[in-house]
Amino acid sequence: MDEVIISGLTKRFDDLTAVDHIELTVPEGSIYGLLGPNGAGKSTTIRLLCTLLRPNEGTAKVGGYDIIESPVQVREITGVLPEEGNHTLYQTMSAYENLEYFGNLYGIPRDELPTRIEELLTFMDLWERKDDPAGELSTGNRQRLALCRALLHRPKILLLDEPTSALDPVAAKRVRELILSLAEKYKQTFFINSHNLAEVQRMCDRIAIIDEGQILLSGATQELRSRLQASQNFRIRVVDDLENTLSISKAMNFVKSAEREADSILVTIDDPLKNNTTLMQALISKGIHIIEFAEEEATLEDLYLDVIKGGVK
Amino acid sequence: MALQKSMLVARADLKMAMKVSMVKYGLILIAAFGPVMLIATVLLIALTAPTVAAATLAMIDPLLSPMVGIIAIIPASLISANALVGEREQNTLEPLLCTPLTDRELLLGKLLSSFIPSIALLLGSILITEVSTIFILVSVGSEIVLVPGLSSLFLLLTTGPTLILAMVSVMILISGRVKRVYEAYQTSGATVMLFIIPMLLPMISMDTSGNVDMNLVWFSNFITLLIAILLAIVTWALAIGRFNRDKMVSM
Ligand SMILES: Nc1ncnc2c1ncn2[C@@H]1O[C@H](COP(=O)(O)OP(=O)(O)OP(=O)(O)O)[C@@H](O)[C@H]1O
Ligand SMILES: [Mg+2]
Repeated sequence: MDEVIISGLTKRFDDLTAVDHIELTVPEGSIYGLLGPNGAGKSTTIRLLCTLLRPNEGTAKVGGYDIIESPVQVREITGVLPEEGNHTLYQTMSAYENLEYFGNLYGIPRDELPTRIEELLTFMDLWERKDDPAGELSTGNRQRLALCRALLHRPKILLLDEPTSALDPVAAKRVRELILSLAEKYKQTFFINSHNLAEVQRMCDRIAIIDEGQILLSGATQELRSRLQASQNFRIRVVDDLENTLSISKAMNFVKSAEREADSILVTIDDPLKNNTTLMQALISKGIHIIEFAEEEATLEDLYLDVIKGGVK
Repeated sequence: MALQKSMLVARADLKMAMKVSMVKYGLILIAAFGPVMLIATVLLIALTAPTVAAATLAMIDPLLSPMVGIIAIIPASLISANALVGEREQNTLEPLLCTPLTDRELLLGKLLSSFIPSIALLLGSILITEVSTIFILVSVGSEIVLVPGLSSLFLLLTTGPTLILAMVSVMILISGRVKRVYEAYQTSGATVMLFIIPMLLPMISMDTSGNVDMNLVWFSNFITLLIAILLAIVTWALAIGRFNRDKMVSM
């Protein structure tokens, strides 16, 4: 079953079309990443899905409910982490009170609420801070608290707008692990906005790339990555002469690009199976001592930059 | 069920407002202004002319007591400005609007969070004034009258809450159009002025020689109440009808 079905969804702000006739489907239990640069329309898409904004055209079904016709039901089954979630807490309420208030608003049974709050706060390493006013927590802790708030009523669908943007690498990793385990354990569906490619690549099974309100590309993460296999990136490390290595590489007609990166050279090679040896031989014959000649895994970043630059393959 | 959800919103708002001592003591200070003026007047009359104090007070009561009602509208405007525009300013509006609350539940909650403390302040002001008046009159050995008197009590207890309701509705209307709490305060200041006018209506029942026609007082009280009810209905209907999540979020 598809948990989110977006059809022709369009949102305009005066003359600006922030979301432009987008079509997307998010399968149940998947972790879906919506990638795009600043101002692409990611947050607007989430605001439309959680019924904060009303589309000018098109609609979406969330968990089987239409966002225009049944907004209350949509809100019941979704958990939302707004953009800059760490700024959206009641500053003077304690961490615990923030969750208690929303737990009540979502209608969590009173006898169950305390245990759920304790579970979540403990998991997020916030239990010790439960009585601190939210405004006195660090940015990262506030972000985690906002995430607790989104998860508290165990919604079927989570709409998270840049969930790890304010977190340090360790905390970000924990949040990614949490999302993965929740998706597996409770079959919750995640729709995640991000411009962090590495993160989306690690976490999401499906992605879509959005720019200027339009979906440029969407599909399974694996599939999209394999599109890059025609040419590949290799990292060359040598004993000394980096400059020479760079100019020799650039001189080869099968080398699409060569760049110096700190202590190594990154080259993109057409048809590497055939051409790698040629490059290696050329380098060796010029007396260069190669320490490393290794394949770099194709990343979504390459794809992303390609797509955003307009050169969709 | 709907009321229960609204009460949750109201309770949270109140708890938060009470944590800010400027709001808490500010409100009490404003609300105290009415009783203090009334009690001072009673004291002055009781001390200067104890023998005719009761008669004098009974006569000027319809002009004097509505003051308490007028003052009570101000806290309502302050709390409701915070309750809605404050939510936007704190960035808590989006998560709140993401909960399953319906428009009606949300607005009723916001209405109650302003209405409850305003009514409490109004009732407190009336009680303090009545008790102090009786105490003063007994102390100087004068005959006892009620300040606020019966006709004023009627006005305060019916028109007072109705105007508070209208005030909060106006604030809900404004909240979709202003970004900052201080802008809301400014707009509400103007609205308070407008809403004070009905409360001054009973003054017309005083003739040029300073005598008060009680029939006219009651008549004007009813007219005032009618105007207030009309204001409340129109503003509340507008507030509910015009309420627009999209607009609140995207402005
Ligand atoms: N309330 C609004 N009024 C007017 N324009 C808006 C509004 N909200 C968003 N926009 C515009 O719509 C476009 C998309 O904005 P959106 O916030 O969805 O981008 P985003 O992909 O989330 O960007 P970011 O990565 O910076 O968060 C932008 O050009 C933005 O300026
Ligand atoms: Mg955004």
